[in-house]
Amino acid sequence: MNLLTRSSINYIIFSVISFVIGGIIFFHVIQTVFYRQIDETLKTEKRLIEEQIDFSDSLPDFRQVFSHMIEVTVFNSPKKKFEFIKDTMLYDKSRDKLLPVRQLICENTSIQDQGYIISISKPLEETTQMITTIIGALILLFIFLTGLLIFVNYFISKSIWVPFNKTLENLRNFDISRDAALALRETGINEFRQLNKTLDRMTKKMRRDYVNLKEFNENASHEIQTPLAIIKSKLELLIQGEGLNEEQMGMINSVYEAATRMSRLNQGLLLISKIDNNQFHHTELVDLQKIMEKTLDHFEEIINLKKIRIIHHFNAPACFQMNPALSEILVSNLISNSIRHNIEEGEIRIMMDSDGFEIANTGYPLTIPPDDLFRRFRKSDRTTDSVGLGLAIVKKIVLLYQFDIRYEVKDNFHRIKVDIHSAKKQDIAGTDVSS
Amino acid sequence: MKILLIEDEKELSSAIQSYLTRGNYLCETALTYQSAQEKIHLYQYDCVIVDITLPDGNGLNIIRELKEGHIDTGIIIISAKNSLDDKIVGLDIGADDYITKPFHLSELNARIKSIIRRRNFGGTNEIILNEIRVVPEEMQVFINEEETILTKKEFDLLMFFLSNKNRVLTKESIAEHLWGEEMDMADSYDFIYTHIKNLRKKMLENGGHDYIQTIYGMGYKFLTA
Repeated sequence: MNLLTRSSINYIIFSVISFVIGGIIFFHVIQTVFYRQIDETLKTEKRLIEEQIDFSDSLPDFRQVFSHMIEVTVFNSPKKKFEFIKDTMLYDKSRDKLLPVRQLICENTSIQDQGYIISISKPLEETTQMITTIIGALILLFIFLTGLLIFVNYFISKSIWVPFNKTLENLRNFDISRDAALALRETGINEFRQLNKTLDRMTKKMRRDYVNLKEFNENASHEIQTPLAIIKSKLELLIQGEGLNEEQMGMINSVYEAATRMSRLNQGLLLISKIDNNQFHHTELVDLQKIMEKTLDHFEEIINLKKIRIIHHFNAPACFQMNPALSEILVSNLISNSIRHNIEEGEIRIMMDSDGFEIANTGYPLTIPPDDLFRRFRKSDRTTDSVGLGLAIVKKIVLLYQFDIRYEVKDNFHRIKVDIHSAKKQDIAGTDVSS
Repeated sequence: MKILLIEDEKELSSAIQSYLTRGNYLCETALTYQSAQEKIHLYQYDCVIVDITLPDGNGLNIIRELKEGHIDTGIIIISAKNSLDDKIVGLDIGADDYITKPFHLSELNARIKSIIRRRNFGGTNEIILNEIRVVPEEMQVFINEEETILTKKEFDLLMFFLSNKNRVLTKESIAEHLWGEEMDMADSYDFIYTHIKNLRKKMLENGGHDYIQTIYGMGYKFLTA
């Protein structure tokens, strides 16, 4: 629910509640005022009748004048004096129906010690009508005012939140690996100005750190590669020389192997940091089935030498918009992994459909927890010569494209399943948001 | 064959130079952008090896200048950066190959050989060594004029040996040449052994000599002398 809807709904709820309460109170106040007025009139009339009676000492006949609304009845046994006012219904002959009235009843003892009762009635029809009209007008006024206020509130809020939404939009489009700074719009509202200032400072610092890190990585790579190149080339020259004995040759060999390992390590780490830094901008629609076939072709002889059986079911090609170099590294690392950790005369099963692929291979039981499999430098001790970055690189690529990767052991097969379907769905959702 | 090596790192430059000189190349070196510029304007080279990050200029500009004058010169870029952009730009403006530091000297040598062979339009592209005749474009190998069928990797291996005759080739350099740099396969050395065994067997079957010598623990040598 967005902010505007939320505030509008709250606004409506609170106005309805306050109107209902206010309306009830208002209704009672109006009713009281009207009743008081009627009661005053009733009392005044009663007083006039009493005076009339006192003056004439007989019962006057009001019937001609006031119709049935005033009745004075004489009765013999005098009673205590009393007076009360009540709401009741009275039959109206002319209209042949019961009408609500306000009635004053009063007993008195003044005519020759005879008691009499005065009953004065006032029809309430007009009053009720008036109250209804007032309340109706009030409801209309309330609806109009609430509507107007919601409308005004909506537009005011909308214009007030414009800088915020703009900032949000900017943040969404911010890419640390691109050079563009966060272009935040000037705003007159203090809070938003502070927000923008803080964001601007944060992103600038992030960008600065990022550039520093990137430069450090690049420099480090350059600085390490060159000495390594010198070491390796000098060693290569050295072994060409005659007259080295076996012991010296062995030592040179160890140094050479270590240097080779180090350069591979360096390259692997550089690749990871490049993926981290999102430096593989270029993408195209990659057909993973073609890559898979090319990779299998590349390793064909190793596969044959190890007498590994390859069974593949390419049901449908898995295509994805990604960097072609990374797609090759992803597939190549997984395939070479399934060859390296395989057993003699083992088996590799590859399944592929449009949602992704699964590579399953026979092999020795895992010596490390499966969760550690994709971490750097974690490797089962069987093949100590490997650098231990292959699956870490795979994980990085998978994360970059939001694929889903799962590892499990089932029926003596190590299975690694890469699901590109989830990424595709997010991709579609993502384009929806941006459009 | 005249080669110009443009590399600012003195030690690396001298190592490459002595490796190439042993292969009967005439190898000149330039340590700066300035001196490289002078040399390419004064002399004609069959192949130029350029490090693109030089202290006083960008190696890519040297390639551009070279392309203006000497179309036939082969060009190999050396770079420590391994950045895709440099590679694409470099190959785009006319370089023939791209190699990333640190590399094996034998690999660089093989690449130079391959470029010179490809650029040698006038002459024949065949490689002939005693009883061995190789037609690289067709991937054909003849021993005593009889065709020997090799697998792709065996052929690559033979070509690598022929490019680096009488040199010790380390297991690492062979593995990288056959399977690429990112290949992180520990037991690949066993595969090299098997490939070499098969290659040797096929060559002997057709009456060829046994040229491949094993240097214990280190690698192999293709001995022609």
